[in-house]
Amino acid sequence: MTVLEAAAALREGKLSSVDLTLDCLQLIKEWNPRLNAFQTITAERALEDARRADRELAAGADRGVFHGIPIAHKDLFCTKGILTTSGSKVFGGFVPREDAAVVERFAAAGAVLLGKTAMHEHAFGITSNNPHYGAVRNPWDLERIPGGSSGGSGAAVAAGLALLATGSDTGGSIRVPASYCGVVGLKPTFGLVSKRGALPLGFSLDTAGPLAATVRDAAAALNVMAGHDPLDPSSAKRPFEDYMPPERIDLTGLTIGLPRNFFFEKLDPQVDNAVHLMAYVAQDLGATLREVRVPDGEQLNAIAQICLLAEAASVHEPYLRKQRSAYGEDVRALLDMGRLIPATDYLQAQRLRRRMLKVYSILFREVDCLFVPCTPMAAPLIGQNQVLLGGEMEDVRLATTRLVRGVNALGLPALAMPAGQAQGSLPLGLQIIGPAWSEARLLRIGAALEDRIGVSRAPLSAARAGQANTPVES
Amino acid sequence: MPIKLGPDWQKMAEAQRVELSEQQRQRLEALGRTMAGLRGLIDWTEEPIIQFDSNAGMPLPAPGGEEGAR
Repeated sequence: MTVLEAAAALREGKLSSVDLTLDCLQLIKEWNPRLNAFQTITAERALEDARRADRELAAGADRGVFHGIPIAHKDLFCTKGILTTSGSKVFGGFVPREDAAVVERFAAAGAVLLGKTAMHEHAFGITSNNPHYGAVRNPWDLERIPGGSSGGSGAAVAAGLALLATGSDTGGSIRVPASYCGVVGLKPTFGLVSKRGALPLGFSLDTAGPLAATVRDAAAALNVMAGHDPLDPSSAKRPFEDYMPPERIDLTGLTIGLPRNFFFEKLDPQVDNAVHLMAYVAQDLGATLREVRVPDGEQLNAIAQICLLAEAASVHEPYLRKQRSAYGEDVRALLDMGRLIPATDYLQAQRLRRRMLKVYSILFREVDCLFVPCTPMAAPLIGQNQVLLGGEMEDVRLATTRLVRGVNALGLPALAMPAGQAQGSLPLGLQIIGPAWSEARLLRIGAALEDRIGVSRAPLSAARAGQANTPVES
Repeated sequence: MPIKLGPDWQKMAEAQRVELSEQQRQRLEALGRTMAGLRGLIDWTEEPIIQFDSNAGMPLPAPGGEEGAR
């Protein structure tokens, strides 16, 4: 069931928030031992939230779409009185005294908190194969990674354990799990969603956003999450905007850029086909397709990596000094690399980001958005280190982030959404990148595509809904 | 003899008492090479302090809503 379907059913009196919550808790009990999508389950709190939501709705006090909807937060968003580990041993006993801004906003909207989702340690990686708490598993194939770092959020939504989950994206950490788990993930423009109370990694790159079953659910979530926060220095002052796409969408007048270079090099051909197929669907809905050249993606990735390595090393410096052995091997290796980045390289990388953004701003005068792959292949196996792409072996971690990382350096918004399935029934992901503050446009395009092609569900979620494991009309 | 651009990562690692694997060293070397090549793109006339304004590079939308912002 989607958020919007559940919200309608609650208001029609077809079910209660307690019913919905009990259903999710039962699924979590049944499936979490296999998926490991939840770090902490807050069953008692969830039922309290649900009972309150039912009372309020019965009394006519309606807080909006998320009132009574069971959701989960990535375990790096601080939750008052609830363990917030960031997937680490370092914060293994950390119980915050305040809620993160994102948590506050969903609570004020009446959402029910099911728990905290598992993640890659400190959000510094894309496998969600956590050395302290075990590997998170992909609901489409339990032997494969869900992507990361918001892997638990992607897996929980794909399996239907939560109707929506929050994530964070510093170098693809919302979009990668969306791609590998076959759900929708939105990385907003830097500054649109408050990061107050989110444990930082790369403070000039970090963004918070939703992972959802559908594009319209993601839009509903962004309506809750977006907004100025005077307590977050990076929060932008923006006028209120309704991100929910209309019911009938025509893409006439929209120009979609298809890059000739970088994004379609070194791919699984199935991904190439899937993204082009989505572009042709958009064309059929009235959009114009235009081939474009984009600035060198490898250079942009290097700039993003320099910034992330240095900032993460700076954030973790006091903890790494005192609790070095509490870090997993892969994260420790990255933090050590970050300690070696010269200050001049870091500062020049920051200057180069602005330069690159100017170049992209010129590109976005020609086109309204770019259609590109999200990941160059479907989800790899847990423990797989190398992947063959374009005739070359490539490190799985670098390949996975190659097409998403640069967007964080530019601060731009990007929508990841399912684009069909590879042979073997693994989901493939489309990434729609737009200019700053174009979230409403990206969601409108995504909703138009979804209305046309339908929504795919992970096998266990589809089986529960009595559907075959093939795309079904939403 | 090949010309080596950028820092000697191994020596820097030793100075910081960091053990660097061959893979890490190669990755840092590649990043260093790319950064060296990118210096030509920097706008040296731009006021460098502007980089600390996190939203300074974000164009504001045109009046009339998102669709007018192209």
